[in-house]
Amino acid sequence: MLFISQLSNALVIGTLYALMALGLSIIFGVLKLVNFAHGESLMVGGYIYYFLATSFLVKLWHLPLSLILILTLPLVYLFGILIERVFLSPAYRKQTARYEEYVILVTFTLAIFLQNLALPVFGPYNRQAPAILKGRIKIGDLIIAGDRLSAAVIALVVILLLLFFLYRTYPGKALRAVAQNATAAAIVGISVERMRRMAFGIGMSLAGIAGALLGPIFLVNPTMGIPFAVKAFVIVVLGGMGSVKGTIIGAYVLAIVESFGSILLPDPSRALAYKDAYGLLILVIILLFRPQGLFGEKERRA
Amino acid sequence: MKRFFLLLLLGCSAAFPLFFQDYWLYVAIIALYYAILSSSWAMLAGQVGIISFAHAAFAAVGAYTSALLSIKLGWPVALGIPAGAFMAALFGLGIGALTLRMRGPYLALTTLAFSEIFRIFLTAEYELTRGSYGLQVPLVWEGNKIISYYLGLSLLVLTLLSLSLLLKTRLGLFLLAMREDEDGAASRGVNTVRYRLYAFIVTSAFAGLAGGFYAHVVGLVSPRMTMISEMGLILAMSVFGGLETLIGAALGAIILQFLTEYLRDFEQWRLAIFGGLVLFTLRFTPEGILPRSYELVHQMLERVARK
Repeated sequence: MLFISQLSNALVIGTLYALMALGLSIIFGVLKLVNFAHGESLMVGGYIYYFLATSFLVKLWHLPLSLILILTLPLVYLFGILIERVFLSPAYRKQTARYEEYVILVTFTLAIFLQNLALPVFGPYNRQAPAILKGRIKIGDLIIAGDRLSAAVIALVVILLLLFFLYRTYPGKALRAVAQNATAAAIVGISVERMRRMAFGIGMSLAGIAGALLGPIFLVNPTMGIPFAVKAFVIVVLGGMGSVKGTIIGAYVLAIVESFGSILLPDPSRALAYKDAYGLLILVIILLFRPQGLFGEKERRA
Repeated sequence: MKRFFLLLLLGCSAAFPLFFQDYWLYVAIIALYYAILSSSWAMLAGQVGIISFAHAAFAAVGAYTSALLSIKLGWPVALGIPAGAFMAALFGLGIGALTLRMRGPYLALTTLAFSEIFRIFLTAEYELTRGSYGLQVPLVWEGNKIISYYLGLSLLVLTLLSLSLLLKTRLGLFLLAMREDEDGAASRGVNTVRYRLYAFIVTSAFAGLAGGFYAHVVGLVSPRMTMISEMGLILAMSVFGGLETLIGAALGAIILQFLTEYLRDFEQWRLAIFGGLVLFTLRFTPEGILPRSYELVHQMLERVARK
């Protein structure tokens, strides 16, 4: 029974991890950069959902929370596009010397900036966003908290929509074309700059919706993004940078390792403390033995 | 001009304790700690082109090593601080060997991961580190601030001198060549991985040195030293002072640290302000605000002189 409940918990958390890490993976694939501010887009999404869901408009018109959730998506998308426009595309267009280091510095600083801006603006306290499904839900012998189940189901729907977009629609295919070879994509008439902007917006908004879904389960606070961002980094390295399939599998692997790893250590308080370290250990091991990740392609050098 | 400027700077900092005591001297001591950290980090990021997010964690490695050696084994501070630097160099060797083979953001990711693992370790291993309460550490010369200040100043001068001398050797030349054109340097027979590893080990050792110094002048080491925001502070100081000059980065650290004290009333806005400052710098004057203003003043002086 413990096994089943741990497994179902792992699947729920894994789906949310996948949502978050897919955003990071798409950004890496198209823009060739690791977005160190990914956790902060999760935080932004969490706050947007929290403030919209607890605003008086919702009470006044009895708006469904699912509508609020859908509204979070374009708002975080706009936020992502704004950041891309201000900080990333000028450097890309001007072919800034040492672009790679520039983007690491910029996204990392952006993360620090947003966290520490949220701290005095929103306050350091935790806020609990309202969940779409409340209470507990019984499936056979299994009892799952409603907020977790609804979050996982919605995350799964978003992931499926994303896959449909990437593999079946024209802009999605164009996005993947730029990821594979930007020069060739430009030759056949795809606007690389527009695709880069779109990819960044989509990546950020995936993390944003993950934040909106996580808000009711964990709490909304200025540093809520950090542990999830670190996990997304682990997943993306594990699955192979830029690989969609690898990212999804990596997310479930990490979730399973985390939930069973904590049973394995005998000392419970220490096991809990080290829960976040397992993923980082996986990261180090992968980098040692298979740096291209489970499904990634080997880097080719000039 | 430049030499004169440097001598003036050294003279001013040597005379600082004559004019300021207690509180501002303590601020200056902390500023020296950050100056060592950010100048060595700037060497790594600006001269070698490696972005490491473990610099604060390496400082903590040095601090905890020196602290534990003096508490558990009774080692004197004069041995503990070098031991801390050595330990940080060993960690640097391990992490560097793991990740420097690969290009791109792998090192940034792994160092961030290491820094988090280390923080979790420090917090969880309560028996050894007293968890988030931190360790009480014996002070240098019973906490004499003037001696602590001169110790910090000499460590900073040591750091700046040895790093800039290092850049003048063959190794420095190789690093410069690699930064400009890595494939080109490799094709001329430069073992790029090995020299990058050397640079990483050396700068990590200086971070450990700074950490050991910090432990024995503040008297308390805690896992807070490895927080991501500490790393953000080091980054802000280095970028503000200019990544391409070691002294610029050290000055950036000192200026921002004193600015922090003036901004005491806005304590919680501090990192947001610094973050905004760095974003502005990176976007508009990537060479750093200090070098840019130095240049502007220089141009202005020349124009005045010509008239």
